Amino acid sequence: MSEAVVAHNRLIAPGYYRMGLQWKSPGVTPGQFIMLRVSADSLDPLLRRPFGVYDVLRGAKGIEILYRVVGRGTKIMSTLRPGDMADIFGPLGNGFPAVKDPGRAVMVAGGMGIAPFYMLAKDILKRGENAALFYGARGRTDAAIATDFRKLKGLKVEVATEDGSMGEKGLVTDIFGKKAVWLAGEASVVYACGPSGMLKEVARISKKNGLRCFVSLERAMACGIGVCLGCAVRTGKTAGKGTDRKKYGMVCSDGPVFPGEDIEWESL
Amino acid sequence: MGIPLKKVDLRVDAGGGLKLKNPVMTASGTFGYGVEFEPYMDLGRLGAIVVKGLSLLPREGNPPPRTTETPCGMLNAIGLQNIGVEAFIREKLPRLKRFKTPVIANIFGETVGEYREVARRLDGEPGVAAIEINISCPNVKKGGLSFGTDLREAARVVTAVRKATRLHVMTKLSPLADIKVMVRAVEDAGTDSISLINTIPGMAIDVERRRPVLSTVTGGLSGPAIRPVAVRCVWEAAKVARVPLIGIGGIVTASDALEFIIAGATAVQIGTANFLDPSASVGVIDGMEDYMKRHGVKKVKNLTGSLG
Ligand SMILES: Cc1cc2nc3c(=O)[nH]c(=O)nc-3n(C[C@H](O)[C@H](O)[C@H](O)COP(=O)(O)OP(=O)(O)OC[C@H]3O[C@@H](n4cnc5c(N)ncnc54)[C@H](O)[C@@H]3O)c2cc1C
Ligand SMILES: Cc1cc2nc3c(=O)[nH]c(=O)nc-3n(C[C@H](O)[C@H](O)[C@H](O)COP(=O)(O)O)c2cc1C
Ligand code: FES
Repeated sequence: MSEAVVAHNRLIAPGYYRMGLQWKSPGVTPGQFIMLRVSADSLDPLLRRPFGVYDVLRGAKGIEILYRVVGRGTKIMSTLRPGDMADIFGPLGNGFPAVKDPGRAVMVAGGMGIAPFYMLAKDILKRGENAALFYGARGRTDAAIATDFRKLKGLKVEVATEDGSMGEKGLVTDIFGKKAVWLAGEASVVYACGPSGMLKEVARISKKNGLRCFVSLERAMACGIGVCLGCAVRTGKTAGKGTDRKKYGMVCSDGPVFPGEDIEWESL
Repeated sequence: MGIPLKKVDLRVDAGGGLKLKNPVMTASGTFGYGVEFEPYMDLGRLGAIVVKGLSLLPREGNPPPRTTETPCGMLNAIGLQNIGVEAFIREKLPRLKRFKTPVIANIFGETVGEYREVARRLDGEPGVAAIEINISCPNVKKGGLSFGTDLREAARVVTAVRKATRLHVMTKLSPLADIKVMVRAVEDAGTDSISLINTIPGMAIDVERRRPVLSTVTGGLSGPAIRPVAVRCVWEAAKVARVPLIGIGGIVTASDALEFIIAGATAVQIGTANFLDPSASVGVIDGMEDYMKRHGVKKVKNLTGSLG
C-alpha cells in the first residue's frame, strides 16, 4: 500500500529486533499500530502482520518497531536489510488516550507488550508529567529490551522476571499489585499492554484501587481497518441503537486500547 | 492475438438492468460498507461495491477467534455480524450512493421470509442497484448454506426475493452445491445473474492444545488457495448458464481475474485481496485494461468464455 524503506533492522537481544522504516508517515499517536506485509511478492504468508509503533524516527522521517520472532512472518522480517523495501499501512487504531493531569501515569507491560510504551513514556515526560513503568519478562535476556527505557530521564522503571534473574522474582502484576495502594495516592491512570491474563489482573487491581485503567489488546488480524470483523472482542457494552450491536468491539478499529472496565475478561 | 490497442472498452452488462463501467466488484464481507475504504482509494473507479451481508435485524456474529491464516488463504467464521438493513439504509447508504458506482446489497436470512423482508426493504431504495442473495455462508447455524445446497430450498429463497423486488437479483452459490443443477434451479426461480463461489468450508487445529483454532470449529476458506476450485466452478456453470456469471475466489491480480472471465464469467469480485491491499481492485482494473491493449481485445465482454 505504502512503500517504506528499511533504515535498520538490529538484533537487540536474542530473538528481538528493532526495525527502522523510512516512511512518509502521518502523525502517530502512542499506542497506534501499523500493518506490515512481510513479503510483497509472495502469497504465503498471506496476511499483513500488526506491530505497535515503538518510536518515531528523528525528523519524523519514519517509524521504528520492536518485534520478537515468533513465527514465519517475523522470521522473514528478521532477514530484511537496510535499503530493502517494506510495504506498510497505517497508522491504525485509536492509541492511548491522553489523560489530563495524571499525577503520575503508570505503564504496566508484559513481554512484547512493552513496545507501544516507549513513545507513550516519551510523550508523557515531554509534557513534564511523571511516569513509571512496571515491566515483566521471563528472564534477563527478555528484560534486556527495556534498556532504552532506563535512559529516559524521569521514568521510574521496575522490573520483575519469572526466573528472578533480573529485578524482583515473580510476575509484573505482583509488583504492580504491591505498589497499587501507594500509587493510588499519586497516580490517576494506568496503561497496560501484554498477555490477556496479565491485562485482566491489572484491570482488576486498578479498579480495586480506584485507578483509571486502559488496556491495549492483541488479536489475530486480517484487515486492520474494521471491515473483516475478525478481531472481535466482547466489550459487554451495548450501543443503545439496535440491541446487541456493540457487544463485540473490533480491536483494530475500536481499539487496540479499551477502558479496562469495558472488556468482558471471561470471554478472552 | 490481434494488434495492440490504445483504447479498450471495459463496460459489461450483468443482465437484469445492471450495467457496469468495468467488470471488477468488491466481494461481500471483505469491503465493509464501502465507506471505510474511502481514505485508501477512489470508490468511483469500481465496477460495483458489494456490501457486507445484511439481515433484517442486527446480528452480533460468532465468538472469537473468528479468523486464522492458512497456506495462501484464511479461514473465517464471522457469523454475519452486521448492523441490519435499517441501519445500513440510514447510516451508510447516503454516503455510499454519492459515488458513481453501483451498490449491491448482499442479503441473508434465517428463513425464506427473512430474505423476502430484507429484499422488500431494499426495493426502491435510491442508491441500491442490485441484491445479492447469500445462500452459501458456511458460518451460520440456520439459513445460509442449508439453503445453498438444497435445490428446492434455494429455489424458494430466490423466488421469494424475486417477487419482493424489481432490483437486479444476483444469487451467490457455494462450491458445495451441485453446480450445474443449482444454476438451472436458481435461473428458473428468476435470478438475473449468478455469483460464485462463496468460501469453502474448512478447519484448522491448534495441535499444541488439541483444540480447534476457530470458536465455531469450522470456517470458510478464502484467498488464493481456493482459486483453482472457483475457476472450475465457474467453468462448469458456464456450460449451462443462460444468465451472466460473476466469478469469485482468490483473485489478487488482473491475470487471476482474467482466468474467471475466460472460463465464462462476465464480471468478477475481489475478496480477501482487499486485506492485503485496500486498493487491490483498482490494480486489477488497470491490469485488465493493459492486458486487453496488449492482446488487441477491444471489448472485455469478448473475453467471456473465450477459453480455447
Ligand atoms: C495491535 C497489535 C500490535 C502488535 N504489536 C507488536 C509489536 O510491537 N511487536 C511484536 O513483536 N509483536 C506485536 N504484535 C504481535 C505480532 O503481530 C505477531 O507476533 C505476529 O503477527 C506474528 O507473526 P508470525 O508470522 O511471525 O507468526 P505466525 O506464524 O502467525 O504465528 C506463529 C506463532 O506465533 C504465535 N502468535 C501469532 N500471533 C501472535 C501474537 N499476536 N502474539 C503472540 N504470539 C502470536 C502463534 O500462535 C503461533 O504459535 C502485535 C499484535 C497486535 C494485534
Ligand atoms: C472475512 C470474510 C467475510 C465474508 N462475509 C461474507 C458475507 O457477509 N456474505 C457473503 O456472501 N460472502 C462473504 N464472504 C465471502 C466472500 O464474499 C467471497 O465469496 C470469498 O471470500 C471468496 O473470495 P476471495 O477468495 O476473493 O476472498 C466473506 C469472506 C471473508 C473472507
Ligand atoms: S482485523 Fe479486520 S476487523 Fe479488525
